[in-house]
Amino acid sequence: MSKKKIATVWLGGCSGCHMSLLDIDERILDVAKLADIVKCPIVDGKELPEVDIVLVEGSVTSDEHLREILHIREQAKALVALGDCAVTSNITGMRNYFDLKEVFDTAYINAVSNDKEGSVPGHPELLKLRDKVVPLQEVVKVDFVIPGCPPDADTIFYVLFEFLNDRIPNLSEVKKLRYG
Amino acid sequence: MTKISVTIDDKKLDVDVGKTILEVCKENGIEILTMCHLKGLTNTGACRLCLVEIEGVNKLLSACTTKITANMIIRTKTEKIKRYQLITSELFFAERNHVCSVCVANGKCDLQKLGYKTEMDHIRYPYLFPQCEVDTSHPWYVLDHNRCIMCTRCVRACSEVEGAYNWNVMNRGYQVRIISDFDTPWGESVTCTSCGKCVHACPTGAIWPKAIVQGQLEKKPEIIAELMEKRKMNL
Amino acid sequence: MNRQDLQTIIHSEKLKEENNKYKHKLCVCCGAGCISSGSEEVLKKLQEEVITRGMESEVEVIATGCMGPCNQGPLIKFLPEYTIYQKVDCSNIKDIVQRQLVEKKPIEDLLLFADSRLTPFIDAREDPYYKKQMKIALKNCGHINPERIEDYLVHDGYKALDKVLFQMSPEEVIAEIKQSRMRGRGGAGYPTGLKWETVYKYVSHQKYVICNGDEGDPGAFMDRSVLEGNPHRVLEGMSIAAYAVGANKGFAYIRGEYPLAIKRFELAIKQAKKLGVLGNNILGTDFSFDVEVRIGAGAFVCGEETALIASIEGKRGTPKPRPPFPAESGLWGNPTLINNVETFAGISPIINNGGEWYSDIGTPKSAGTKVFALAGKINYSGLIEVPMGTTLREIVFDIGGGIQGGGEFKAAQTGGPSGGCIPKEHLDVKMDYESLISLGSIMGSGGLIVMDKSSDMVDVARYFMEFCMDESCGKCVPCRVGTKMMHDLLKKICDANGTRIDLERLEELAVYVKECSLCGLGASAPNPLLSTLRHFRHEYESRITE
Repeated sequence: MSKKKIATVWLGGCSGCHMSLLDIDERILDVAKLADIVKCPIVDGKELPEVDIVLVEGSVTSDEHLREILHIREQAKALVALGDCAVTSNITGMRNYFDLKEVFDTAYINAVSNDKEGSVPGHPELLKLRDKVVPLQEVVKVDFVIPGCPPDADTIFYVLFEFLNDRIPNLSEVKKLRYG
Repeated sequence: MTKISVTIDDKKLDVDVGKTILEVCKENGIEILTMCHLKGLTNTGACRLCLVEIEGVNKLLSACTTKITANMIIRTKTEKIKRYQLITSELFFAERNHVCSVCVANGKCDLQKLGYKTEMDHIRYPYLFPQCEVDTSHPWYVLDHNRCIMCTRCVRACSEVEGAYNWNVMNRGYQVRIISDFDTPWGESVTCTSCGKCVHACPTGAIWPKAIVQGQLEKKPEIIAELMEKRKMNL
Repeated sequence: MNRQDLQTIIHSEKLKEENNKYKHKLCVCCGAGCISSGSEEVLKKLQEEVITRGMESEVEVIATGCMGPCNQGPLIKFLPEYTIYQKVDCSNIKDIVQRQLVEKKPIEDLLLFADSRLTPFIDAREDPYYKKQMKIALKNCGHINPERIEDYLVHDGYKALDKVLFQMSPEEVIAEIKQSRMRGRGGAGYPTGLKWETVYKYVSHQKYVICNGDEGDPGAFMDRSVLEGNPHRVLEGMSIAAYAVGANKGFAYIRGEYPLAIKRFELAIKQAKKLGVLGNNILGTDFSFDVEVRIGAGAFVCGEETALIASIEGKRGTPKPRPPFPAESGLWGNPTLINNVETFAGISPIINNGGEWYSDIGTPKSAGTKVFALAGKINYSGLIEVPMGTTLREIVFDIGGGIQGGGEFKAAQTGGPSGGCIPKEHLDVKMDYESLISLGSIMGSGGLIVMDKSSDMVDVARYFMEFCMDESCGKCVPCRVGTKMMHDLLKKICDANGTRIDLERLEELAVYVKECSLCGLGASAPNPLLSTLRHFRHEYESRITE
């Protein structure tokens, strides 16, 4: 059996889920026996090739994220939403109660550290924030979700390991379903 | 006491008359999901989680408000009921802003537990993201509307147990809100006795004592039933 | 007052004489519809005209309740000829009086439906609009002055109450109602006699009778017209019900948007008390019954019986799970009979004519007549009363005069936001409880909104969902959040942004909200959506983006 290909992607999140992923510690060796990690924020690799499994952390907050997630969907056989931001929009989504302008003004102009002298950055090369932050399933089909902020390393390993062994994981069954 | 026989989930039981389906199930170790029910308070049948199928009845009835009668054949865990419980759970989460990771009740929240029990791993409906206020005007407690699920356990604890009638409900539909007195800040309430019963009755992190950080909330909802029991004994 | 006194009044020559004193009766419709098109001014001008001509001894000008074709108002009717003039304005009053009363040659151009019939009818009863109708609940609406109890007495008023008090036991009254096979006109169609019997059987020192006049469906005004046009009829029905079930206190819950109905009903209570047909020891018997008006504050959900009861109790108007039903534990925990305005309006004719007479009208399962409020793209909108089982086609085309501008009928919405639509293919459906349910609609309280091809059915569903979403009391989760979610999804589809998944979610939610909601408002909120999906699915499909 040929080795599977895995990738992980970091969208609008705090990278905590990737930290948790690193916490699987030496079990990474078990993963490595079954799969190659072809793209990950922690390893090099600019392009996302076709992969079997992709773990996506974070929610869709900008036009760049949207483009990226649509591309990921095309490249991946199984798309796994990793962590509360990807599943529920979580903390990233807390700006949704306000207008985007209010959010910008608060961050760049009215923040105390700006001494009221700041301005909203508007360089065309910068990504554009979407009006509302949405979780992955609102824009693409998601095959599996791992909620949690962040999800336990155990949970992440369990899901990966099941997928790599061609089994469908079930978080409820193994009592690993957790939010927050 | 007179006994009647009923069948719940294919189990034949002899039970006392005059009890609700929920009481009977609890006594017999049959789990029924609830959210607006709290022992010691009147039941309102609002959360619709405890709906059960009863043979010969053409609609689902809430176990907390329906008295059990002889020869009832009740089913509590059919596929249909499980599916509806999942949808209810999803709607709860989608309605307001439940961000578990920053919530004082994280890990001790009845709403989270409901999610786990209904095996809800994500929410299929778009979040409403309403703008909700956080009332911190009370010297000891906070009311965070973002986390309120409108179970009205606080309203009932306040009126039925404490007798203060501080809490009430205003507006209609998805815009309903819990209010203190006539929608004035809680800290300015003339009726609130600051007894804290609502804090313990609240199933989520919507009402909580100040000076508590994420995940540290300890609630004792059982005190409501204990108080009511003791009161009965005094009478 | 005891019985003899009432009999003396009813049979006195004086009352009849007074009624027959005038050669002509000139009825001016002062229902809310005609008032809004200026009938009060017309009434004033007519009275002046009659006086100017010195005809006040032979012509009586009275203000009456609704005559039916509201959008043709202001309406005036000459009795005994039964000649109705439409769209009367102050400028042609002189001519009308001159031609009708002096020259005895009616002005054909101003007659009812003159603008749409080749030859309008001088005797309006000959017009198919009235010919196809049968008035029981609305009988006397439009002939009598609702503000005078004497007018009601002349038309057999309180005869039925007299009959039950002196000739019938409560059991016999209930048996008569059961025999009539009357079903509740509020919408659900529960057998009235059975309901009465249930309340009767509960033993309690205190029982209540409630009249539900919280008519909230958009486009419905049946109860309003009955209350405005013949309030004593409703009051009499309530008294008979109270006698039958053993209640001594009643409440009429009328919505605050009906100030005229409230005014007239309160006046009726005052008059009835003065006459001794309401209050303590009615007609000298042991039976006492008092009625109070409670004014609704505009919440649709208060039309739901348990919410209405909470509202009368002074609480927030939110429903309670049933069982227990109000018949067992209603107002302040006491057995309570709660019926709709139209139901009570149908009681005294049943007592006077017998249950068998009533049960012979209509269809085997739905007896009697039903009042419908025609609205929408129909030529003659207004209020009609037809025997149950009349087809939708007869109502829309024979009575309603067809579609405005000669357009094409597309669908009719019955039951308002709780009902569903009936498409063109089912124009020949018999309007009775079962037939409508089999088409995915309901009879409801009687609102009937006619739509032509300019109506977009997805938008219709969205509109009614918005109504339910706004009117949900917010108590139970399925209705509070479910209606909001369904509305947002419908809006998305309306805006052509919806996907197939959205449509699936919508259908799943619709069934969930229908089955899980606490009260009838939530349980019926998905009906317009489900019925438009059933009959007009292609309109949804064509909006979906893949």
